[in-house]
Amino acid sequence: MNYEVPFTLNGQPVQITVKATTTLLDALRDECHVTGPKKGCGTGDCGSCTVLLDGEPVNSCLVLAVTVRGKNVVTVEGLGDPEHLHPLQKAFHEHYASQCGFCTPGMLLVAKSFLDKNPNPTREEVQEAISGNLCRCTGYVKIIDAILAAAEAMR
Amino acid sequence: MRTTHYFAPESLDEALELLAEYGDRATILAGGTDVMVDMAMGRLKPEVILYIGNLPLNGIEERDGALFIGPTTKMATLARSPLVAEKAPVLAEAASKMGSPLVRNLATVGGNLVTASPAADTASALLGLGAEVRLSCTTGERWMPLEDFFTGPKECACEAPELLTEIRIPLSGGKRGSRFIKLGRRKAVTLSVVNVTVVLDFDDGACRQARIALGAVAPTPIRSRRAEALLTGQVVNDELIAEAAQAALSDISPIDDGRASAWYRRKVTAVLVARALKEAVA
Repeated sequence: MNYEVPFTLNGQPVQITVKATTTLLDALRDECHVTGPKKGCGTGDCGSCTVLLDGEPVNSCLVLAVTVRGKNVVTVEGLGDPEHLHPLQKAFHEHYASQCGFCTPGMLLVAKSFLDKNPNPTREEVQEAISGNLCRCTGYVKIIDAILAAAEAMR
Repeated sequence: MRTTHYFAPESLDEALELLAEYGDRATILAGGTDVMVDMAMGRLKPEVILYIGNLPLNGIEERDGALFIGPTTKMATLARSPLVAEKAPVLAEAASKMGSPLVRNLATVGGNLVTASPAADTASALLGLGAEVRLSCTTGERWMPLEDFFTGPKECACEAPELLTEIRIPLSGGKRGSRFIKLGRRKAVTLSVVNVTVVLDFDDGACRQARIALGAVAPTPIRSRRAEALLTGQVVNDELIAEAAQAALSDISPIDDGRASAWYRRKVTAVLVARALKEAVA
């Protein structure tokens, strides 16, 4: 049984046709060909599939695509592009906060949504905000540095 | 391969009718943080998915001396609600420690209860708060104290065609001290090794009523009746706290599992009960 799901993706109205059991992650990658969100674990433990759903960061592997009908989904592709880097992307670049890049889309989106709510955070608050996003390369220090630098640039 | 059907009712009546029709062939989906994991691991292949996220079942309201919480209220909402922080702080604390910031934006308090893991953090907090739950179906509804709700590891009293539709927390008028402590293998994205909720209501310096809830140390979240009995009617001093912490050990039956050994759980339960009591009294 297939279901049609109209929703907004990175500011554009889209419509996909999926099975009831298709995750938002798989729908974004396979139907919408938006590959920013990654499949790291598929069980909501690593955060590499993070997207913003109506402004809140969630694990897209835990969301059924059919449930986002009428909702607003933002992936890293909606954050900025090489010609127009979001301040977070610029800061990640300048602070070497990305090595293999696998966790980076998720980190950027969590950071964006966090700074929207808390524009002047402490280091501990940033740590807590990204505690659902694993990074196997950087050891997190540069990521936190970058987020704090972006926060300052954005204030 | 069997195809899965999906329904997203917009009204509670519609949802209850669908539940009555499909019974246990329907998998209820709210936040998905348990259901989706089961599906990803191949443990669950639903025939029907009944999504309740569009129902007006989220919300936190104070009325008639109690806090009423809708079952699809997200953990993140509970964690940052000023009303919950003021009236039921242990629930805000437990909600803030569950899962990860991402998971908390999906996970619901009702779903956490119905999954009925003995380690569930908000289950422990709600048990300590003396909460009751309302179970509804097409033919009526009933209220049940949370003590009676958990029937075994990952088993609860809510089965099709019933839906958990409300949580009620009675509020205390008087002086209250409470604390929730979660011990995990790490600071985030971890199930509880042990969790403890302590809620003490005072009258004239003595403890009129004590509720001590413990998680991950028995087949279900439990209350420690022995520890509670020791504290009831007494002035809570350091000596009594130490006795109560030891008494709690007689109420638990921990097992060895992937997160900790029974031996360790025994040791740390006494430590955490004492610590929670000290901090609740302070």
